[in-house]
Amino acid sequence: MYGELTHIVELFQFPFMQRALLGGIMTGCTGGLLGSFTILRQLSFFSDALGHSALLGISLGLLFGINPSLILLPFAIVFALGVTYLLERTRLWTDALLNIIYSASLAIAIIILSFVGHYKGGLTNLLFGDILAVGEMDLIISGILLLITTIFIGLTVRIQMLMTLCEPLAIARGVPVTIHRTVFIVLLSLVVGVSIKAIGVLLVSAFIVIPACTARLLSRRFFSYIPLSAGIGASSAVVGMVCSAAFNLPSGPSIVAIQLGFFLTATLRGLFTAQSPT
Amino acid sequence: MQASGFQEIVLAVEHLTVYQETYMAVQDVSFVLPAGTDTAIVGPNGAGKTTLVQAVLGILPHQGGTVTLLGKPLSRRGHLALQVRQQVAYLPQSFLFDRRIPMTVAELVGLGWDQLELQLPWIDNRRRRFAVEGALYRVGATHLLEQFISGLSGGEMKRVLLAYCLVRPRRLLILDEALSGLDVQGESDFYELLYELKREEGWTILQISHDLDMVRRHCDRVLCLNRGLLCQGEPEVALSPENLFAAYGSAFVRYRHHH
Repeated sequence: MYGELTHIVELFQFPFMQRALLGGIMTGCTGGLLGSFTILRQLSFFSDALGHSALLGISLGLLFGINPSLILLPFAIVFALGVTYLLERTRLWTDALLNIIYSASLAIAIIILSFVGHYKGGLTNLLFGDILAVGEMDLIISGILLLITTIFIGLTVRIQMLMTLCEPLAIARGVPVTIHRTVFIVLLSLVVGVSIKAIGVLLVSAFIVIPACTARLLSRRFFSYIPLSAGIGASSAVVGMVCSAAFNLPSGPSIVAIQLGFFLTATLRGLFTAQSPT
Repeated sequence: MQASGFQEIVLAVEHLTVYQETYMAVQDVSFVLPAGTDTAIVGPNGAGKTTLVQAVLGILPHQGGTVTLLGKPLSRRGHLALQVRQQVAYLPQSFLFDRRIPMTVAELVGLGWDQLELQLPWIDNRRRRFAVEGALYRVGATHLLEQFISGLSGGEMKRVLLAYCLVRPRRLLILDEALSGLDVQGESDFYELLYELKREEGWTILQISHDLDMVRRHCDRVLCLNRGLLCQGEPEVALSPENLFAAYGSAFVRYRHHH
């Protein structure tokens, strides 16, 4: 026990560990902030499809010899806006269309990767995340993104609330809902793009969805639900990263397991309070 | 009932035409709402009542004609000066919202108070809180202040929505079948409250209704709509059997007659 503790303390001396922690706090916060609205607007599956499809962006980057980090963000934005446009134009069901898009992207990405040959770190790291891959540039981007998201949500929170509750009400009050929807989707795709290195394409949407659901179980007051979601996102990222480093586990699944732990705790708490007479 | 001399026109609609994709849902409709009047829109299902109301509010774009709200024009694509928007309140049909959304009554009513422009969330908290408490008091729902909207009954929700409307002074209230989902007692309670507030606040009301008896009792004017405007006028005239036949067809008049 003592030995493991020193092991963890020693780990914090490494710059990669400090970067991972800081990155975890920031992306956890951003994911929780945006996630709180994402789940209420029923965009959870959209964020999932976006994460899976990001592998296509990475593989294209590898094919053309461009740094995947550079291609990921523009790819995510273009992809998100394209999919949104398709969803509005087509008569197909949203979940069916999203399924087509993400399975097609995954399939094409894996085929491209087979031509690229061996990628340093390998496919597993792309799928499930690698804390070692979090560099200084990623930290800067995460920080900027957290700042922008906080300012955006902060200044428009009541507009976002009304849009989430009932869009016609918001339009009748003069809210330019299309602009707000687009900004939100762009931010969401950016945070998915940024988080992929540490969490991996398969699990990245858990970052958006699970902390927000936990916060929803714990709070039914909007103005405490949003910060709670961000806080749970950040803390589960930190605990997950530490576990990942301490026990040499893949970072993405470790974080998601911790998120699940919080979620289950909140569910149990809900069960007990529901049964109590007060 | 008709006031003599000058009466301010709150809403003027001229030759309004609205297409839903290629289907002409509202055709060449013209009417005016003088201040302080209560006008009902009646007509069968699919007559374009909701489309008309949503086009007037700029929720749907319109393809022909003009809409003027409180002297300001509504653009074809639905743009309207924000100061005018602040003075119009709208309750959509049966206001279905996701009950899993975490929100308290105070938070919901507070949304009616803000200008909905970029602002820090804690700005004006005290003034907003004061207005919210006042509005809930007016609708007799002070006890609901800290309740969650997920737990409200249908009748309580209507009261809360009225509080959302009156948390700021408004000129025009547009209700799209505000009463669907209420039982008879809840309905009469709601109307009592609505007309009390109308007298006190001087609201002009435009409402879509299926309840012709209520329209006869309360409304000053009736618009019979079936894509185009079939008739308009005082309820006794507009709801005559001939006009109802034209609007609803023969089955409805027989039903009304034997009912």
